[in-house]
Amino acid sequence: MSQPLVSLAGITKDYPKVATGGERLRTLFSLMLRSAELPHFRALENIDLEVHRGESVALVGENGAGKSTLLKIIAGVARPTAGTVAVRGRVSALLELGSGFHPDYTGRENIYLSSAVMGLSHRETRSKVASIIEFADIGAHIDEPIKHYSSGMGVRLGFAVATSLAPDLLITDEVLAVGDESFQKKCIQWLERYLDGGGTLLLCSHSMFHVQTLCSKALWIHHGRARLFGESFDVTREYLTYHEEKRREERRAESIPAPASGGNMPRIVSTWIERADGERAETFAQGDELVLHGIAYEPDDRSPVLLFGVVRADGTAVYGSPSNERGFIPTPIGERRFSFAIRFAAIALLPGKYTMRVHALDPEGLRLFDTVETEFVVTGQTRDFGLVRLEHQWIAGRPGAP
Amino acid sequence: MNGLPLLRHRWLLYELTRRELSNRYAGSVSGFAWTFVQPIAQLAIFAFVFSQIFRAGVPANYTGITYTAFVAVALWPWIMFSEGVQRGMAAIAGNAGLIRKVALPTQLLVYSTVIACYAINLAGFVVVLLALYATGENIHLAGLPFALLLLVPYLLFATGIGLVLAALQTFLKDVEHGVGIVLNMVFYATPILYPLTFVPEAWRRGLALNPLAYFSERLREVLLVHPALAAGDAVAAAGCLAVFLAGLWMFKRLSPYFEDFL
Repeated sequence: MSQPLVSLAGITKDYPKVATGGERLRTLFSLMLRSAELPHFRALENIDLEVHRGESVALVGENGAGKSTLLKIIAGVARPTAGTVAVRGRVSALLELGSGFHPDYTGRENIYLSSAVMGLSHRETRSKVASIIEFADIGAHIDEPIKHYSSGMGVRLGFAVATSLAPDLLITDEVLAVGDESFQKKCIQWLERYLDGGGTLLLCSHSMFHVQTLCSKALWIHHGRARLFGESFDVTREYLTYHEEKRREERRAESIPAPASGGNMPRIVSTWIERADGERAETFAQGDELVLHGIAYEPDDRSPVLLFGVVRADGTAVYGSPSNERGFIPTPIGERRFSFAIRFAAIALLPGKYTMRVHALDPEGLRLFDTVETEFVVTGQTRDFGLVRLEHQWIAGRPGAP
Repeated sequence: MNGLPLLRHRWLLYELTRRELSNRYAGSVSGFAWTFVQPIAQLAIFAFVFSQIFRAGVPANYTGITYTAFVAVALWPWIMFSEGVQRGMAAIAGNAGLIRKVALPTQLLVYSTVIACYAINLAGFVVVLLALYATGENIHLAGLPFALLLLVPYLLFATGIGLVLAALQTFLKDVEHGVGIVLNMVFYATPILYPLTFVPEAWRRGLALNPLAYFSERLREVLLVHPALAAGDAVAAAGCLAVFLAGLWMFKRLSPYFEDFL
């Protein structure tokens, strides 16, 4: 068993309350005299974490949960109030946007400065500058002061510098969220190569997609405490479920009044998604059964035609089909209302966020009147790409065409 | 983490100092020239007011020296000190962005700032000394190496004070206001515009305790009277080292908490 690259034990971090001059003065004296009691608020409480060489760990949690504070402590920028931190090896940290560049100095000067922080000499840095600039790919802006950079450009340069030094441990705080699509791809490719080469990564992200693709493990921090640590797929699933429940409660609290029946056009009154066991849900594992239920309204009490469509979060249409195609007739449930359900025995969608749309058409299936959307998430552990899993098999081939 | 942090971080110190030097005058047209203009203007004012209006003279042991040269020799070291302290004090708050995001020994920010101030003004000092020598002032160029040697503990002293003030400034913004007033007082309490011998007997002992007074007088002696080191220099150097170490101790005591307050 190798020694862990990072080991945290009982990390607690209090930030002093320093809003008023009196508090500042009191804090200063207490720090000089090393006495304990100070007005403070607790950002982190009793966090344990071990990261071994070659592992990739994500920190997830809500805004203000303490993720960035924990990264700062590991990077050595902040000191914990209690607990021990041991970090071995060369650490490269990209904390927040701009990642510690001096705003008044040019990009090039900041490259030298950041490299010097890592212990590189001026000459050693000079040999790396060209490749850093090439990776950052920000053109002539490299000789302009950082303060004129967009946040994306700052992150590009920061990432280029941090990665140029082949660190043992790379710490990045939500930086992937800023770059544009092509730079994000470049970063992720770099990170994958880095991880394949035995690199260790500590990442903080709100993108569960990034967490799942890049990290093998995840730590969920909730209000400064470790809530769950484990395989990244398990942790992200629990985390997303937590958010869905929270959102649902919020929605319930808003208590949207049920739309009054009536009107002279076909409508969808409500839709919801259930699991096979009849439980309502918004998250499904790939291959699970998903049942969409709905109630439609038709002013003349004739069975309306319905149409459903599945759309990926980015708007790409995946599949859709009308009810009259299969001869389905919604069940009348009184008061000009009709119930219907669509069962997907095993969702073949790849992990991601999707929207289920249901439209109400007139009984002739000619005019479209109403659209109702329901979101759902598919989770899974897969390296497939595209939209859906097509049933397939890899089989032995033949030496040539017959 | 321990050992010799300064050796381990020598490239960072180099890079920070270089940056400090190259950016002091970035954005100004005449750049380095400003290093001279301000002190020379100050010197001109003092020379006029004190030699022409107050008719201040130079003690007899300084032969072949005008009042202007007499003041100049002490004025530049004073500027090194006061500028070094003031800029060093602001080094932590001024680099908040860096400190919040990058793990680095923060005292290097103070070192680099003070060193840059000394380097810039030292260049100005040497140029002024040569110019005065060229105009026929009796300046002992042989004293220059000794003067440089004396400026080393003087630099340590300024760094020590700068460290304490930078640490306090991070917690209490009031510090910088107070420091301006104190420095103004110290300027007049230091024999720069006058020789120590002009100070009334009753005050002289107290004034001599001012480390700046010691260096001011010694630099004049070395450059204008007798180019050699004295026994007291070693004591002064030890004192300056003590001030520096005390400042560093206090700074290190508080520096882990900078991030919480910036």
